[in-house]
Amino acid sequence: MLFLALVLRGLWSGNYKAQETDYKAYTLFVYNFMKYIEWPEAQNKGDFIIAVLGDSPISKELQVLASGKKIKGRAIVLKKCNTFEETSGCHLLYISASKSASVKTFKDQIKDKPILIVGEREGLAKKGAGLSFVTLEDDELKFDINKKEIEQHQLKISGSLINLGIVIN
Amino acid sequence: MIFAPVNLISQSDSTAAGKDSLSYYDMSLEQLLKMKAHGVPSELEKLINTLISVASKKPLNTRESPSIVSLITEEEIKKSGARDLIDVLRLVPGFDFGVDVEGVVGVGIRGNWSHEGKVLVLLDGQETNEILYACTFFGNHYPIEHIKRIEVIRGPGSAIYGGFAEYGVINIITRQGEDINGVIASATYGQMEKTYGRRNLNLSIGQKIKDFQYSVSGLIGQGNRSDQIFRDFKDSSYNMVGNSSLNPRYINAAVAFKGLSARFIGDFYQTRIGMRYAVVNPHGPYFENFNSMFSELKYVIKVSDKVTITPKLNFKKQTPWQNQPSDSILEAGAYNVSAYRGTGNITGSFNFNRYINLVAGGEVYRDYATANLDTNAFSIDTTGGKYIRKKSVTYNNFAFFGQGLIKTRIVNIILGARYDKHNVYGDAFVPRVGLTKKYKRFHFKALYSQSFRAPVIENIHYQVGAIRPERTQVAELELGYQITRKSILTVNFYDITTVKPIIYFVDTVTHNDGYSNFGKSGTQGIEAEYRAKGKWGYFTLNYAYYTAANKEKVNRYTVAGNSSALLAFANHRLNMNASFNLTKDLSINPSLSFFGKRWGYAPSDTAKGKSDLKQFDPTALINVFIRYTTPLKGLSIGAGVYDILNQKITFIQPYNSDHPPLPGPSREIIFRLSYTLNYKTKN
Repeated sequence: MLFLALVLRGLWSGNYKAQETDYKAYTLFVYNFMKYIEWPEAQNKGDFIIAVLGDSPISKELQVLASGKKIKGRAIVLKKCNTFEETSGCHLLYISASKSASVKTFKDQIKDKPILIVGEREGLAKKGAGLSFVTLEDDELKFDINKKEIEQHQLKISGSLINLGIVIN
Repeated sequence: MIFAPVNLISQSDSTAAGKDSLSYYDMSLEQLLKMKAHGVPSELEKLINTLISVASKKPLNTRESPSIVSLITEEEIKKSGARDLIDVLRLVPGFDFGVDVEGVVGVGIRGNWSHEGKVLVLLDGQETNEILYACTFFGNHYPIEHIKRIEVIRGPGSAIYGGFAEYGVINIITRQGEDINGVIASATYGQMEKTYGRRNLNLSIGQKIKDFQYSVSGLIGQGNRSDQIFRDFKDSSYNMVGNSSLNPRYINAAVAFKGLSARFIGDFYQTRIGMRYAVVNPHGPYFENFNSMFSELKYVIKVSDKVTITPKLNFKKQTPWQNQPSDSILEAGAYNVSAYRGTGNITGSFNFNRYINLVAGGEVYRDYATANLDTNAFSIDTTGGKYIRKKSVTYNNFAFFGQGLIKTRIVNIILGARYDKHNVYGDAFVPRVGLTKKYKRFHFKALYSQSFRAPVIENIHYQVGAIRPERTQVAELELGYQITRKSILTVNFYDITTVKPIIYFVDTVTHNDGYSNFGKSGTQGIEAEYRAKGKWGYFTLNYAYYTAANKEKVNRYTVAGNSSALLAFANHRLNMNASFNLTKDLSINPSLSFFGKRWGYAPSDTAKGKSDLKQFDPTALINVFIRYTTPLKGLSIGAGVYDILNQKITFIQPYNSDHPPLPGPSREIIFRLSYTLNYKTKN
């Protein structure tokens, strides 16, 4: 009976939810991308605008971030978009996993405008994003860096951020 | 890189109480180094995300590793109070034990007798199977209290490991200098009903100092297999108290500097038995030695971030099954043969990128065996059946192996193969293919492998007809689902077909013995395991079922009148292993092994001197161990009872060759004392 009670206590207590993606950790990374990447002087005025392409649970977390944090004194503004036109004026374009196929189209349309493209899904840095998330074998969260792409968009990435990521070119 | 000491925020804040706290975003850049994509892992997630390399050389997590694997941790071994590897491996789905000859106990996997050359036992990378018969020996032998973890492949591993890994691989990893970081001493005493079960002393010393690491671990002990009466088919008997000794003496010393490492293991295992083969020795009990010395020199060369090349030299000397000359009262004469194997191996690992890995290499070994007593010990077939007799023999083997791993978003693909060529028995080529993937909570593995068993020195010597490697094909499918953050359910199916199995037999009429390839054998089955783990402890329940009903059979393994069962191994097995933390320092650890009906040959009830096929009733071994970490720093004590119901489970011979069931231990009360003195600074 004691064993049974202990088993029941162990099995039926606590969190039932299996391990899900920690979007708050993703948001923390995005926040650091904003801090450790430099945009051209002309872009350092007004609000810092993040455009999220497609639906992703990260939107909720980014909203929390935007509500209470600033980037170098600038407010963070979040907007949702589905077309290239809707990305107008944004500094950072976050491509959710469901819109991964659009990365090349958006990259071509953005051309060399100072917009940082961040891909939620692994491998997007190779397809035109400046940064894209990677989950390593032991579940460590990392990001690929397409340095060439970042520089092409007139952005400058700091050495400390480079040390944290994986440079693919 | 060190974390900023003033910043105490961590990823746990994202999943715990401070979920909406904006201070979470104040983490330093350095703290991002250890962030997990799926949040702070639970105790169970830490376990199932553990990287293991036994199945692929390239480390992969347990759910994507291309074999059906069981991972046994140091915590589980310590808390369960396991007396030896038999206790540990009995809890692994599909694993069981039977008796060979002369009281030696070996392992069976998924209903198939695997003792002789069909399961590879690696101890810190050393191939421990002796090379005269390829056996491994269980019972108060391997240093259970030194083990850091055990990675078990419950299926074939020949495509990586060659001819001893046909049905499975048991990869034992002991604590290294960094893990020991000081001195660890322990003592175990076990008391059966009529005599002691074991009295063992262990000592480990080790440390890591920058790039240098050393460790020395030793075990000395005495044990008894059983305290029951052994009765042979001729109705002779002897008392196993004091006459079933299992006495280990073991040392494992290692040094490592950066990629260069050297190791020496001395394994001097002595048994005492009262039988010759399977018949009570009229001259009384005698000692038998199973001595091995292993040495290794290895250099891991990191050519670049993408390329690693590892040359390795191994040498082992073994004198198994050795009767001491002073015991040459033996009716059939003493056995004393030394065998040596020198192995050179070079393995390259190429990470083309994160998604593609290639492992390739070559291996060459040379076996030499010499008889220490008899000048004409080996029969050598010189030309087509003309035999000469020699004092020593030499054999050579070379092998090439390769494996490609391609990781895609949809599936991981593993393709591998190994080719072996031996100068006597010829070649063996074993390919394998595996598909694995984890999709959030769900994972699957679809595996097809060929494997083989390499004949060894005495198989060749005692061959009846020309002996060839036996071949096995195994298809496996595993499905797993993580039910909650604390629990996971895994189910796997398998189909094993072995062609031309090499079987030792004793002619029950002439008493002549030998090795020969027989027809076909195999099993099919299902294994299911539920694991839960949390701060409160852990709970594991597994079930294993095999059937031979749809497979061809070899007479020596069969149970007349029952097509699904094979000798010695129960079709149905159920295991439970649990640990409950009553307080931070006190845990209670129950375990259970249930065996369904078993069949084996036992002394006849009606005809004296004969044997009958008998059914052995279902049995349950129930054990409990209590472990307490005392307030005295480093000191822990434990006590428990193994086989509470006193079932005295017997070891049955899995092939019909004249060995009656070997009595097992009676109820055993275990006491264990362990003291750890850590060095103050850990470099």
